[in-house]
Amino acid sequence: MNVVITPAMVGQVVVSGLLAGALYSMVALGLALIFGVMRVINVAHGTLLTMGAYTTFWWFRLLGVNPYLSLLVSMPVMFVVGIGLQRAMVRRVVNAPELSSLLLTFGISIALVNGLQLAFTSDLRTVEFLTGAFVVGGVALSKSRLVAFGFALVITLGAYWFLQATRFGKAIRATSQSPMVAMVCGVNVERVHLYTFGIASALAAAGGSLVAIMFAIQPEMGQVYTFKSFLVIVLGGAGNYPGALLGGMLLGLIEQLSSLFLTTQLSEAVAYVLLVLVLLVRPTGLLGGRAT
Amino acid sequence: MRGLVVAGLAVALVLLVLYPMVASGYEIRFMLQLFMWVALAQSWNLISGLTGYVSFGHVAFFGTGAYATGILITTHGWHWAAASVAGGLAAAILALIIGYPCLRLKGPYFAIAMLGLNEVMRVLVSYFEGLTGGGMGLSLPTLYASVQIYYAMAIAALAVTGAAYLIVTSRFGLRLMTIREDEIAAAAMGIDTARHKLYAFLLSAFVPGVVGGLFARDQGYIEPIAVFPLAFTITMIVMALFGGKGTVWGPALGAATLFVLQELVWVRFLFLHQVLFGAIIILVVLFMPRGVLGVLQQRYRLPRYV
Repeated sequence: MNVVITPAMVGQVVVSGLLAGALYSMVALGLALIFGVMRVINVAHGTLLTMGAYTTFWWFRLLGVNPYLSLLVSMPVMFVVGIGLQRAMVRRVVNAPELSSLLLTFGISIALVNGLQLAFTSDLRTVEFLTGAFVVGGVALSKSRLVAFGFALVITLGAYWFLQATRFGKAIRATSQSPMVAMVCGVNVERVHLYTFGIASALAAAGGSLVAIMFAIQPEMGQVYTFKSFLVIVLGGAGNYPGALLGGMLLGLIEQLSSLFLTTQLSEAVAYVLLVLVLLVRPTGLLGGRAT
Repeated sequence: MRGLVVAGLAVALVLLVLYPMVASGYEIRFMLQLFMWVALAQSWNLISGLTGYVSFGHVAFFGTGAYATGILITTHGWHWAAASVAGGLAAAILALIIGYPCLRLKGPYFAIAMLGLNEVMRVLVSYFEGLTGGGMGLSLPTLYASVQIYYAMAIAALAVTGAAYLIVTSRFGLRLMTIREDEIAAAAMGIDTARHKLYAFLLSAFVPGVVGGLFARDQGYIEPIAVFPLAFTITMIVMALFGGKGTVWGPALGAATLFVLQELVWVRFLFLHQVLFGAIIILVVLFMPRGVLGVLQQRYRLPRYV
């Protein structure tokens, strides 16, 4: 199979990669925040994204209102769900060995995914809204992906602003640098954990809402996003928040580029090979971070 | 006391050997599957229970073994027993490729790498149609060998339990458990942690490979979704956790209890049963981290190799 690769195709791939990448960055930032402050990898992160996606689906199915407005519901709802999970369960394993938090969040994820299957069946669901594409200079821009890019960018930058400029954001960063010193300086670390989990869940939910408008959704889709988010923070460097932004864009680009050279089926495996290679060659991430 | 235990085990062994002569076809398959789950839960325990490195994708080794065995039987005409051992080796090679980069780092990297592995193996097996039949699956030649496979599965289950006993009572096992309790201290005491974790992982991948091969021979037909189901990984984790991770008999106890319950009650409620498995994981981690056997060990001060 010899395909001639034209500049327009490369342009298309770069644009699609960046569009997808912004969403990865946003979702991965949530995972990175939790890992940063608690040293917990939340295996249920992708499942929280799925719950956001179902919120949007039912919002559109039942109310028929613009599905982008559902972000105003899915984010706060999942913020509260996240706080509930942290308060009831995750809090108890923060200082336990890693094994406990990994298994606990895995258990949460299984219970939620199968709960969703029970409630909504495993049928593929779609939100038929904003289909079609703009064509600019030979590059097709799917409308829904473009809007998702915009939302993801605004939300991600908003989250960075929050981390950089507000007092609470500073407390989060302080906790992720050193919980002990943060505590000595008067930061309520328990409270930081609680709200960080809420914010992270809201970021996942926003990702889910945007995904629901672009692709068909089903209860088991979340695991892929857990994996990709993890890959993003490995690429960017664990514990390095701006690294997540770069890592997301990079993952989007690599995925799209690989689909240009390989079949789409195999390009699913590319992200995996990439993870193994990065861990082999540069385990602290491309930007450098805290090696764990 | 010790003599009594040995005598009890010997009687159980004789009963299991004689069992296929009196049991019906269904009953033989029931025990065969029970042995399969004991072997799978035990093998998960070897890496995750002993070293604390959680594997979220152990079924990848099962599927790899199933496909390696299936291909060797159909295209090379191997005997199923030899092919299953080769399936185990194939799984161990995969474990080497994944384990070498991922086990040098701390737990989360390994856990998430394993989470993705299963998906990737499923994609690869579906893609290389020439070798694996892709989504069409692979049909093995017809062979009625339930009783032989029953014995083979029983040997696999006993062998891995025996291996767990030998490991837990050996210096090698002590080193693995030291890594679990405090990896930095283990390294400071001169333990080559990466190498020890890798050995445990290779052993832990070999067994599901063999069992996957036997499963493939027993089923006579394999396809990607049938031998790479996430549900299998979940089930082995639940069994090992429930019985007691890091113990010799815990995973066997968990596998026996939960498999019987699953066959008798939960099969009728597919998703509810999975919700329940999620709930068991959560509850065990929060309230009974040592599992049933761990609680008994603590209460009755049993030695740790029980």
